[in-house]
Formats: sequence, structure tokens, C-alpha cells
Amino acid sequence: MLKAKTNISELASVFIENINRRFRRRFALRRREHKSCITAPRLDCLIKKTHFLRPFRVIIFFATILTWLPQSTLANEADNISSEAAEKTLAERLSLNFKVLTSLTIQEPADSTQNPGNNFLQMPGYNADLELRPNVRLDVDPLDLSIKPRMRLETSVWREGARKGDTDWNDDWFFNEWLARWKARENIFLSYGRENLQWGPAYLFSPSNPFFKDNGRSNPKREVPGMDFGRLVWIPTSVWSVSLIANSDEGRSETVSSDDFEKRYALKVDYAGRDNYGSMIVSHSEDSENSFGVFGGWTLSDAVLLYGEGAVEKGCRALYPRIDNSIFGASMQKVFQDDPAYKTTFLAGGSYTFEWSGTLTMEYLFYGHGYSDKDADIYYSLRRKAANAMNQEGWISALAKKTLGETACNGLRFLRQNYTMLQYTQNDIKDTLDLIMRLTMNWDDGSYQVTTILEHSFGNHFDLFLIASRNAGNGDTEFGSIYDYQCMIGLEYTF
Amino acid sequence: MTYPFEKRYLILPALILLSAYGFTCFRVEAAMNPQEILKKADEARGNIEGVEWEIDIDSVEQGRQQQRTIKVTAREFNSLAEFLAPANVRGQKLLMIDRNMWFVKPGLSKAIPISPRQKLVGGAANGDIASTNYAGDYQTAQSSEDTVNGEACYLFDLSAVNKNVTYDRIKYWVSKERLVGVKAEFYTVSGKMFKTAVFEYENSINVKGNSNSFISKMVITNALLKEDITTMLFRKVVIKKVHDSTFNLNLMLK
Repeated sequence: MLKAKTNISELASVFIENINRRFRRRFALRRREHKSCITAPRLDCLIKKTHFLRPFRVIIFFATILTWLPQSTLANEADNISSEAAEKTLAERLSLNFKVLTSLTIQEPADSTQNPGNNFLQMPGYNADLELRPNVRLDVDPLDLSIKPRMRLETSVWREGARKGDTDWNDDWFFNEWLARWKARENIFLSYGRENLQWGPAYLFSPSNPFFKDNGRSNPKREVPGMDFGRLVWIPTSVWSVSLIANSDEGRSETVSSDDFEKRYALKVDYAGRDNYGSMIVSHSEDSENSFGVFGGWTLSDAVLLYGEGAVEKGCRALYPRIDNSIFGASMQKVFQDDPAYKTTFLAGGSYTFEWSGTLTMEYLFYGHGYSDKDADIYYSLRRKAANAMNQEGWISALAKKTLGETACNGLRFLRQNYTMLQYTQNDIKDTLDLIMRLTMNWDDGSYQVTTILEHSFGNHFDLFLIASRNAGNGDTEFGSIYDYQCMIGLEYTF
Repeated sequence: MTYPFEKRYLILPALILLSAYGFTCFRVEAAMNPQEILKKADEARGNIEGVEWEIDIDSVEQGRQQQRTIKVTAREFNSLAEFLAPANVRGQKLLMIDRNMWFVKPGLSKAIPISPRQKLVGGAANGDIASTNYAGDYQTAQSSEDTVNGEACYLFDLSAVNKNVTYDRIKYWVSKERLVGVKAEFYTVSGKMFKTAVFEYENSINVKGNSNSFISKMVITNALLKEDITTMLFRKVVIKKVHDSTFNLNLMLK
């Protein structure tokens, strides 16, 4: 019995060490990469992976192409012109957009069963950040190259929990996105690269996109980590287009969970009419997760837009709470991984633009993967038991931490099933100020989140921004689980 | 007593004149009806197979001045506008596929669908006037003749074909000689004049071997606040074949 416990303890220790290391990176050091940190508190388990060799691979790839370019494409084009003119042509086709962004984030971790006393997630109270964001593009027909290298320097200070009083510095160098696209014909394009491949009209969530759970709209100053895609786009007519998409690598969008990345393939068909548009997406992953997604929109009038997105999915790798004989009376399990049943998620939305140009947007989301009331009861009960056991000695503590890791990163974008979002947008107030106010409501547990985004331009180069979120709900609710408030203020300079 | 006889003499020339007038009118109408004139005038504002140009927008709104430079690639009523200056809006894009509009901003993960009414960037909001599809979205309720700065014009009173357009009614002056729109007045549903616009055509483009006038300047004045003026200068006009891929969101780099 003692030996068995020791084995469990060893296994749990290894697991916890792994999870904790990732969590620290997930919630503390590289906090800004994740949507849960600034708006929706659900954890989609995305963390950055530092691939030291990958930047060099990308550099070698682009260097090879650029070395070859003058001898082929440019030479062909410049046959009858001087090398000086060819250089001028090259200069005209090279574009650089360079931003420097600095920000300070203040946040108050929620004292919940998910993160008791901030001892589990160990979220810093303050975070200061400096980022260099150059975007370089070279468009030499028929080849289009772009690259987005990033440098980040940040420091974090802990106010609560196990790391109270700690200060940490971190620097990070990486390529968030890069792309090489070849125009085979005027209506056929082949590309490969690291992209943040997004589509669909929704703000809250884009269920039709099987690749990204985060659509990047929660925090406009945070970049969604790119993934590696190969794409073929065919445009047979002016209103139809067809895309074949292969997601070959997770890129910078590594998951915290122990699941390996599975390649996924998709066929996307797009239609754009006179005052409407629509798309359908069929996807298949190598672990047999299949999905069928659609989205569409309609310009109903000068001021009214209606839109919708939806997906039907078979198989789900997310963790669900199930009662069993384990020490906490329940555990997180992949109960639907091989389930042949389909789950449906849909979002319906619309916006109205007032005469004064302010726009009111409303969305309703039914998230078919979310927990039912019964699931939620087991889930919170499990979290409470794990939180209580976390400070005990030995393997029980290790098991508690493992369980809290699984409840935090269960693989779902939202915890429950019914959500609404109400948003008011007013751009260009006095030509300098953009305002977004957003309310996201979880109707199943009554918790909600209020977010305000302000961006003020000073002259032609400086932008001052403020992104503030306040969550409401007790510790056993979705929006009350991770943090009480978060405020990010920053300055952006564009060269 | 001679009156009937004299009348007979008068009737003959009158018939000849009427016949000639009728024949002339028939010839003009057969050559170009109002919709065709509108379509021809639209062509001088970009409603052609493919065009690319840069627009310097200088707008004054409630005493605040704003400047933008935009590169526009257009074909028929699809257009892609990319902001070139100033620095903090560089790279922003406005894609219009007829009535569908998307706004793309560097740093934002995906394109935002927007309504035609949604104002984006100060004076650029007047893009709805720059891109008005007079021939496609409006029908001629009444036509007459007028002069603008001494130039003989057709004056069309246009009403919206459907409710999907910003302005319910437009009065549009088209030069008889040049067949280009020289002035327009835009009215709201309530019948109030909202904006006025005057157009100049110093640019020229080569279409199928013919040199056609092309818009060079557009001045838009707010009818209610006369000091709110937007001036749009069109330059670097290039006629080119614009492919469907230009307007495809799947290929739009952020």
C-alpha cells in the first residue's frame, strides 16, 4: 500500500512539476498571450513554446527564397530594365510596419476553489511589458513573403500567494507569424507559414473555426499565437472561393494538457454576394475529431447587420467531471473522445449602427460542449475538495494539484452552455478616441464580465490604450474563478 | 379671311420643326437614356473594369482637421482601400464587396464586418459618397436640365431603388458634353439635404485606346454645418486588370 502510494506520489510529482512549470509560464510569465488573462476566464490551455531552433529555420527559409528571388522572379521582370530600376522596384515592394508597445497590467486574482489564495495559479499582481513588433512584407509577384518577428521584455511582481513579494524578469524572441505565398495562377494561391487564421463575423467566439478557440477580439493589443498551415486557395468566380487547409503544427499555440498535437485538415467554401456572404467548413483531425461549421452574414439595411456561426462536431478531447471511486469522489475524464454523437454549437448576432455612428452589437451563444447543471455541480464539488487538499502533505496534495490543473485546463472554450454578449462601439470620437464597452453574461451560473477598451491617438504616431475588465460572480462561477479585475494601460508608438 | 390660309403655312414649318425635334430627341434617347448616362458618369469615378489610385483626404469636422492617404483598388463596385498614412493607421484596410464591408486592422486577429453606415475614420466616412453607385442603386424619378458654373448639365432627381443605400434621394448634375457628374446633393429619408459634393476631372485614363476623363478632386460639404468640408484628391490613377483575388478575405494579409 505504501509502495503504491509512493508510485502515485512519484507519478503525480512528475505530472505536477510539468503542469506547474507550464502553468507558471501560462499564468505568470507569459500571461498576455492568453485570452483568459484579460477577458474570458475560461482557460483554453494555450501557452507559448520556446522553440530555439525554429526562428533560425524561418530565417534560413526566407534567406533561401530571397537569394533565389533576384535570379528568377525579379530577373524575369527586370529583363529590360536596369539593375537600379530593379532595386527600386524591390524597394517599392518591400513594406515595413514597426510598432513599439509598452504596457502595465494590474490584476487581482480571485480567491476561488480554482486558485485558493493564489497559491495554485500564482498569478502576478503587476506586469510591465515592452514589445517590439516589426511586420515585414515583400510582395514580388507572384511571390508574397511576410514575417512578424517579436521581441518581448517583461517583469512581473507577485502581491499574493506562494510567490508573494517575488519579482521575475523574462525576455522572449520569436516569430509569431510568417508566410510564403505563391500565386500559381491569377486564381490559385499556394502558401505555407505560421498564421493566425481567423474567420467569421462573431465577437464572442467563432465556432466555425476548428483551429483557433481564441478569435483575438477580447484584447486587441494581444496577439494570438500563430499555428503552421499549408493552404491552397482557388477562386473560380468572383463570388465563390475554395480553400484547402492543412494545420501541420501547433506552432506557438502549444497546449498545456498532455494531449499531443493532432494534424487537422479542412475544406472551406466561401460565397460573397451583393449584400450577404456565407461559408461552410468541413474538417477532420488525425485523432478522428470531425466537424462541420458554417457562418454567414447579411447587410439587412444601411444600419443593420445580421450574422450567425455554428458547428456540429463529433468527438471531443475536453475533460468532463465524472463521479468515480477516486479519493475526491470524482475526476476529470475524456468521456466524449470516442463518442459517435454530434454536439452542436451556434451563435446568432446582429448589430445596429446609430445615426451618430455608434454601433450596438448583441450575440447569443449556445455552446454545446459546455457543462450541464449536473456536470457543473460535480465540477465545483471536485474543485472544492481538491482546493481543500492542496495544502496537505504528500501524494494527496499532488493529486489535488493535478486535479486543479485539469479543472483549469479542461479543453473547453467556455465552461457552460448559454451566453450573451452586448457591446457598444463608438469609433473616432472627436477624431481621436475609440471606445468599446462589452458585457458578457453566463446565463447558467449568473456570473458576468464587463470590459472597457479605450484607445486614444496622439498625433500620427502615438496611441494610448486602456483595457479594463471586471468580473462578477462568486468563486464557484465561471467568471468568478480566475480574477476579480484586470486593468491594462499602455502606450503604442508606430514608426 | 386669309387667316386659315396663313395658318396652313404656319402648320407646315411647325410640323417640320416638331418632326426634327422629335427625331433629334429620339436620336439622343436612343443613344443614351438616363440610366446609361448615369452609368457612363459612374465610369469616371471608378466604376470600370479595374482601377487603382491614391486619395489624399483632408477633412475638417467641427474645427478638427484630419488627413489620411488611402490607396484604393477598385473594380465595378468592389473596392479595397488601404490606409497609407499617417503612421498609426497605416495598414488598416476597408474591403467593400458591393454592400458587404469589412474592416481589417493590423494587430486585430480577424476582419470586422461593418455596416455601410458605420463611420470609420473621420473624413473617410465620406467614402459612401465617393463610391455611390448612381446607376445601379438609383432610378431616375425626374430629369431636367440645368447649368453648373455655366456648363450645361442633365439634372437627375434620383430615388433609391431599395432601402439598402445611405441616401434616399440624390439630385445629380451630369455634364451634357463630358458625361461626367459635376455636382450632387444628398438627401436623407426625411427630405433634408445632408451633404453636397462637387467633382473635378483633371485626371485622364486610357480605356480601350480612348482617353477618358477621370475624377481628380471631390469636395464634400456638410449641408447643416457648412464649415465641415472634406476634400479628396485623386492621384496615381492606374488602369489595370483587377482580379477577384484582390477582394478575397482569405488572401488578405493583416
